Amino acid sequence: MISLDETTTQQNIQDILKVFASVNKAEIKASSALSVTMLDNIPSALTRTSSYLTHPVFNSHRSETQMMRYLKYLENKDLSLNTSMISLGSCTMKLNAATQLIPVSWPAFNSIHPLAPADQWKGYQQIIRELEQWLSNITGFAATSLQPNSGAQGEYAGLLTIRAYHADRNEAHRNIILIPISAHGTNPASAVMAGFKVVVTKCDEAGNIDVEDLKAHAEKHKDQLAGLMVTYPSTHGVFEESIKEICDLIHANGGLVYMDGANMNAQVGLTSPGNIGADVCHLNLHKTFAIPHGGGGPGMGPICVNDKLAPYLPGHVALKNSTKAIHAVSAAPYGSASILLISYAYIKMLGAQGMKRSTEIAILNANYMKARLHKDFKILYAGKNGTCAHEFIVDLRPFKQTAGIEAEDVAKRLMDYNFHAPTLSFPVAGTIMIEPTESEDKAELDRFCDALLQIRKEIAQIEAGQSDKSDNPLKNAPHTQQEIAASDWSHPYSRQEAVFPLDYVAHQKFWPSVNRVNNTYGDRNLVCTCEPVSSYADA
Amino acid sequence: MTLFEQQQNEFSGRHIGPREAEISSMLEKIGINSLDELINQTIPASIRLKEPMQTGGPMSEFEYLSSLKKIAAQNKVFRSYIGQGYYNNITPSVILRNVFENPGWYTQYTPYQAEIAQGRLESLLNFQTMVCDLTGLPIANASLLDEGTAAAEAMSMLFNHKNKDHDHISAPKFFVDENIFEQTKDVLLTRATPIGVELVIGNYQTVVLDEQYFGALLQYPDKNGVIADYRSFINAAHAQHAQVVMATDLLALCLLTPPGELGADIAIGNAQRLGVPMGFGGPHAAFFATKDEFKRNIPGRIIGVSVDAKGNRCLRMALQTREQHIRREKATSNICTAQALLANMAAMYTIYHGAEGLKKIATRTSLLAQQLSQQLKAIGYNNENSFYFDTIRVAMDSIDVLKKMQKPTKSISAIKRTMF
Repeated sequence: MISLDETTTQQNIQDILKVFASVNKAEIKASSALSVTMLDNIPSALTRTSSYLTHPVFNSHRSETQMMRYLKYLENKDLSLNTSMISLGSCTMKLNAATQLIPVSWPAFNSIHPLAPADQWKGYQQIIRELEQWLSNITGFAATSLQPNSGAQGEYAGLLTIRAYHADRNEAHRNIILIPISAHGTNPASAVMAGFKVVVTKCDEAGNIDVEDLKAHAEKHKDQLAGLMVTYPSTHGVFEESIKEICDLIHANGGLVYMDGANMNAQVGLTSPGNIGADVCHLNLHKTFAIPHGGGGPGMGPICVNDKLAPYLPGHVALKNSTKAIHAVSAAPYGSASILLISYAYIKMLGAQGMKRSTEIAILNANYMKARLHKDFKILYAGKNGTCAHEFIVDLRPFKQTAGIEAEDVAKRLMDYNFHAPTLSFPVAGTIMIEPTESEDKAELDRFCDALLQIRKEIAQIEAGQSDKSDNPLKNAPHTQQEIAASDWSHPYSRQEAVFPLDYVAHQKFWPSVNRVNNTYGDRNLVCTCEPVSSYADA
Repeated sequence: MTLFEQQQNEFSGRHIGPREAEISSMLEKIGINSLDELINQTIPASIRLKEPMQTGGPMSEFEYLSSLKKIAAQNKVFRSYIGQGYYNNITPSVILRNVFENPGWYTQYTPYQAEIAQGRLESLLNFQTMVCDLTGLPIANASLLDEGTAAAEAMSMLFNHKNKDHDHISAPKFFVDENIFEQTKDVLLTRATPIGVELVIGNYQTVVLDEQYFGALLQYPDKNGVIADYRSFINAAHAQHAQVVMATDLLALCLLTPPGELGADIAIGNAQRLGVPMGFGGPHAAFFATKDEFKRNIPGRIIGVSVDAKGNRCLRMALQTREQHIRREKATSNICTAQALLANMAAMYTIYHGAEGLKKIATRTSLLAQQLSQQLKAIGYNNENSFYFDTIRVAMDSIDVLKKMQKPTKSISAIKRTMF
C-alpha cells in the first residue's frame, strides 16, 4: 500500500517507480501527473458536487498579511498566561517553558509517522523509556503507560487494568467502585465506561472522606468490591491524614486503589501515590508536567501502576504486547507522543531537587494567598495545622444573602481586574478554588489578592446599601471598551471604577471583548456553525 | 554550589516565581519560620518520601537542547507513504509561528470564561463549520482526542441512544467493517466490552444486519485506499433502524460525495492532515459530526452562538449540562480534554487555503496517485483498488520485492512497512 499526500512530488513518484522497476527489471516509461486523465480514479457516482466553505471567513484570508492579522485579532481577545496568572484550582496552569516546547517543532520529532518501523524512531524510544522510568519513580510505581491522551482517558485505562486484574484472578464479579462525593465528575463517568457500578461515599464537614461511611460501604460490598477512586491531596486541597488507613481498608476488602493524579503538583518529591498505598494513578502531564493546555487540549494522561497491575497496561496493534495487556485506549501507540518531549524536558531541566522545590513553592504560594485573604473571606477546609496544600477554596456563598452576589459575579468581575477566574463552583458550589502554582512570583500573587480584596470592598458597599443591589460593578461585569467609550453611561458608579478599579489595571489593561454571556439563550437557540453574514447585520 | 553547578540548576530559577527574599516575607505573612516547617505542617509525616526521587537532570536549558539534538539524531525522518490516518502535510509557516509556537494560542485554559476567550471560541466555531461543510452533516463538536476515540464515542452514543434502558438491551450489536484502520479496531475492542456492546467485525458487502444491531462503522476511503459506494448498505442499515458511522478523511471529502449526502448518521476521523504535524502519533484533533437529532447527545465540547448582556453576538461552550461535571455517573462519556490547539490549526489551514485551495491540494494528491498507478501498470504492477483517492494497493508477488527492500534506499524506506 502506498499513500500519497500534500507533500508528494513527481520526483517521489519516480523514486517509488525505480524500486518497483529494479525488482522486475522493467524500464520506466516517462509520464507525469498532468498527462493523466482528470481523476478517473474517483467514481462518478461519488464525485462531490456540493459546495463547501462558502462562508466569508474561509474566503477572505488568502494573503499572509491577512492571515497574520486575523490570527492576532483573535489572539487579542483571549486571556492567556502571557497576560496574567490563571489560578484555576485543580488545573495547575504553570509555566510552559519555551525550551520545553521548541523541540516539538523539530522535524526529527514532528515528522515521524506513528506506525513507522522501530529503527526509525530510536530517539523517541530513548525518550519514552526514560520518561516511563522517571514517572514510575516519581509516583512510586513499577511501570508506566504513556498511551492515554487525557486525564479522563488515563482514568479509564487505569480502571480497565483493575478490571483485567480481577478477571485474571477469576474475580470478574468484583464490579463496584467506591467514589467519594468530592471527586471530579470524570471519575464516575470513567468508572461507568469501564463497566463498573459506582457507589458514592460521604465526606465529613471538614471535606475529608468520611472513613466510617467508606468502611461501611467497603465491608458491605466486600465480595464485589473492585476498588476506590480517590484524589490526593483531596479535591478540597487537603492532605488527608487518613489516606493510608483508607488504602489499607480497600485492600483488606479485596479492592484496589485508583488515585486521581490531578493534584500531583502537591506531591512530587514530597510523597507519592505508591508511597501512600495506591495501586494505580494517572498523571495529567498538562498540569504537573508543564504541557500547555492549548486552550482546551492537547493533554496527556499516562498511567503508572504497581507490580500487580503492570501486566495489564494497554497494548497496541502496532506493538509487541504482554499477553495480558488490555487493548489500546488511544489510536497511536504512545498517544500524543510529540508533546511527551515537554514533560521530558521539564523533568530533565529541573531535576529531582528542582521538582521538589517546585512542589514546595506551589504549596507556599497557595498558603501565602490564603494568609492574605483569610481575614476577609471564609476559606473552606484546611489541614489539621491550618495549612492548605497547593490550592484552597474561597467561600462566596455568604454574599448571596448579604449582597445578592453570586460566585459567578465575582468570577466575571475579576476579568475587569485583568484576571481569569479561579475554578468556579468545583468541588463546592458557590465557591472559587485558587491554585497559583510555583511559577507565579509574589508581585503577581499580590495583584490577584489585591483584586479579590477590592472586590470584597465592592461587595461591602452593596451590603452597606452604598451601592445598588442590581446595578453595581459586579453584576454588570465584565465591562467592555465599547460601553466605556459610549457617550451614555447610566450606572451609579464611575467608568473608572468599572474598568480601572486598581492602579495596576490602568497600566496594562486587558479588555474582555464581550459583556456577560447569556448561556440559556444560546442553548435554547442552538447555533453551532458560523452564521450567514446577514445575521450579523440583524444583531 | 560552584558556578558550574549553579549553571546546571539555573532552570529552576526560571521556572519558579518567587525569589529568596520574597519567600522569606511570604513565610512571615503565613506566620511560619521556614519552608520545611510549612511542608511538615501540611503533609503528614507518615507519608513523606524517605528517599529522594531518581530522575535525570538538572540541566541548563542550553545543555538540554544540545543533548536533545543528539537524541533527535537517532530518529530517522524518511518520506513516509504509510498513511492509515496519518499523513505528511505542509503546516503553513504563518500558522506554525503564530499559533503552534505562540503562547497567545497555546497557554489558555478551556474556554469556560467565555468573555475572555472569544478568539479561540471563534476559531473553534470555524473548525465546526469546516467539519460540517466537508462531511455534509449539520452539527459538529469542537474536536475529540483521536480517530479511535471518536469512533468509540460514536459507538457509545448510538448504543445509548438505542438502548435507553441498560437493564434491557434490545440491540447490543455494532457492525465494524474489516477494512477500517487497525488502530481504530483496537480502540473499539477496548471500549465495547465493558459497556455491553457486541462488536461484529466483517465485510459490509456480505453482512446481514438485523434488529439486534444498533449501528455500523465503515471507512471512506477504507484502509486499503478503496472508495466504495456505501449507499445501499446505509439504506439497509436504516431499514433495520441501525445508524451508520463513517470514518473519513476531510481532504478526500473535497473530491468525494460527503457522508451526510450518502445518508450516514455520523462522520468521524482525524483532521491531522489539515496542517498538523504527524508528531509520531499526535496531538491531533479528531472530528465528530452528526445529524440534528443527536445534537444533545454529542460527546465532547460544542461551541455555540449566543448573545451577551447587551444583546451582542458572542460565543461560548454550548449544552454544558451534558457534561460529566453535572451528570457524573449518569454521564455516557468522560470526555473532558479535547484537542483545541490542533483543531484551531486545522481550522486555520482551511481558512488560509479556502475551498479552492483545498480542492487543489486534494486534486494534486489524487493526480499523483493516478500517475503512480498508471506508471506502475506500465511496468507490470497492477493496483487492486480501481477507485482510490490517495492510496493504492499494489498486487505483487511480494517475496522478491521484500527481499529487495531489506536494504531500501533512504527515500523509500518507509514504504516497506506497509508492504507486508
